[in-house]
Amino acid sequence: MRLKKPFVSLLTVVGLSMSLLAGCGNGSENTSSSTGGNAAASGDPVSFNFYFTGSQNVKDLWDSLEPMFEKQHPDIDVNLVYIPSGTGAEPTYDRIVAAKKAGKGSGGIDLYEDGITSVAQGTKDGIWAQLNEKDVPNLSKVNADTMKDVDNFAIPYRSSAVVLAYDSSKISNPPTTLDELLKWIKANPEQFAYNDPSTGGSGSSFVQTIVYKDLPEEDIHNSDPAIMEKWDSGFSTIKELGPYVYGKGIYPKKNQGTLDLLMNGEVSLIPAWSDMVLQQLNEGLLPDTIKMQQITPGFNGGPTYLMVNQESDKKEAINEFLNFVLSPEAQEVIVDKMNGFPGIELSNMSQDMQNKFDGVAEGFRTFNIGDLGTEINKRWQSDVAAQ
Amino acid sequence: MSKETRQSITGLAMVLPSFAILLIVVIIPIIQSFIMSLSNGSGGYDLSRYMYLFTDKGMQSNIVFTLRVTAITCVAVILVSYTLAIYMRFNQGPIVNLIRKTYMIPLFIPGVIATYGLINLLGNHGWLARMLEVAGITLPRIIFDEKGIIIANLWFNIPFTTMLLSSALSGIPSSIIESAKDVGVGKLTLFTRFIFPLSYKTFLVALTFVFMGVIGSFTAPYLIGANSPQMLGVSMQQVFSVFQEREQAAAIAFFSFLLCSVLGAFYIRSMAEEEKAKI
Repeated sequence: MRLKKPFVSLLTVVGLSMSLLAGCGNGSENTSSSTGGNAAASGDPVSFNFYFTGSQNVKDLWDSLEPMFEKQHPDIDVNLVYIPSGTGAEPTYDRIVAAKKAGKGSGGIDLYEDGITSVAQGTKDGIWAQLNEKDVPNLSKVNADTMKDVDNFAIPYRSSAVVLAYDSSKISNPPTTLDELLKWIKANPEQFAYNDPSTGGSGSSFVQTIVYKDLPEEDIHNSDPAIMEKWDSGFSTIKELGPYVYGKGIYPKKNQGTLDLLMNGEVSLIPAWSDMVLQQLNEGLLPDTIKMQQITPGFNGGPTYLMVNQESDKKEAINEFLNFVLSPEAQEVIVDKMNGFPGIELSNMSQDMQNKFDGVAEGFRTFNIGDLGTEINKRWQSDVAAQ
Repeated sequence: MSKETRQSITGLAMVLPSFAILLIVVIIPIIQSFIMSLSNGSGGYDLSRYMYLFTDKGMQSNIVFTLRVTAITCVAVILVSYTLAIYMRFNQGPIVNLIRKTYMIPLFIPGVIATYGLINLLGNHGWLARMLEVAGITLPRIIFDEKGIIIANLWFNIPFTTMLLSSALSGIPSSIIESAKDVGVGKLTLFTRFIFPLSYKTFLVALTFVFMGVIGSFTAPYLIGANSPQMLGVSMQQVFSVFQEREQAAAIAFFSFLLCSVLGAFYIRSMAEEEKAKI
């Protein structure tokens, strides 16, 4: 009897793991068969995989958009794959490239959501499909210049703006222009903070806005490395700020890093994403005294893009989905859920929405400097952080 | 087949699987990253990545900073852990029981959570600052500083090191200590002549673990370290995924491997000497 017991438990373990493994096998088989293109013929919906990353609010957004779309299009099944921010975005991109290089088609990733860096990188690597108004009619509602910036390789379906977030109990007149802001930082030492630009968009936006402060407007749509020579005055401005920012040169990590400092009352003014501030105000994470101010010319904001994998064999279904995402009704959900700006031009939205953005949208600029963004971060690390 | 050949074949066969794993997960990747670090981006192979590593001002200060933090942490961890272990070995009572029950708690707290805890505790408006404020003391800056990283490293490394050292100390027979005491050996001599030599091997193991753990640490230095200089782990991440210079990141990785292997070689040599002495 004594001998038997471990044997029985071993058998149970083996049996259990076998059945688990078998379950996994079945699961993947099911998805692979339903993702097969010919499945549509038999009446099964065409299913494609949509990989997206971001904070919880991005997941909530797609969780509410997906059922809306599938109700209108019962023949298409969108399989959402959410990757929590910070862990999987890069491997996802690498998987797409790897699948292409290995000749394995789309690698199971049909649609992908990310920022401008991935758009530029993927355009260079030749993995994104070019989109046009014939396949996605609603593309006509998107600002033509923004589409030109990305050569139609991606859809800027929503945007967020970087604004100044400030503690109104300490500041009554927040700066309204970039020059005023620079003066304010020097007049109030250690009361301003921006995050390490390589770790989050709000700090990166602050740095880029100053670097391009005195440069002609067309330069912010130019990724020619020759422009790097014009950065000197901008970088010297940022360097001069060093002794006046929080901790005489401490740049917290991530967008949340500066928000934490604002929350604790250690600083009173920071650049921050408007949607993050609004969301945290709604959830009571930030005190009610925190207010936002847009400056002119605006901080560079960032659209988030949807990119179609060139290798995907379900482009028709994806185009249907993209067309839906750009429809005014879907865009309205995006604005509500994300506290952000719509991806389509405001004139296409309801009058209510247009009123909501009255006077705010003008302060918003889109930069497209491609790989130069990385160069700015590199130079910031050696010139500003290591000064 | 003679018994000896059969034995050596069995021996080889038993070593082979672990060697294969070592080959696949350690040796080949190291060689690969070494080759990668030699490519200069324009098709050729040279030492330019290493030149950059040792000539760039930022990188130089990163390396010095990493070694400094590692050295300070190693000394501090060993001092604290040895003291704790010896105290627990040669004393009894409620305090010892309390230490014995609690000193391993940090091992069960995930790194990120512990780091955020430290930020909340030691930050400028953290608990400690608020408590000291009542007493009229202003807390100096600890977070976003070298001190913060060292404190976090102590938190992560002391429990494990203490555990290793206490197990080594409990292996020392009480009879040796007692008889030494009987012939009138002082406390210091007791430590340098008996306790330390008898726990030297574990001491070396512990030191190697702390050194390697700290030199490659990432979470705490990333979250509470300064922007510059950075620990090598943080710098590697930045170079790899933000600047996307994989060859340069490989060079940093290979360099930190070399740093670790110096200590590793020292450790293996002393172990081998001991084995030889036994034979």
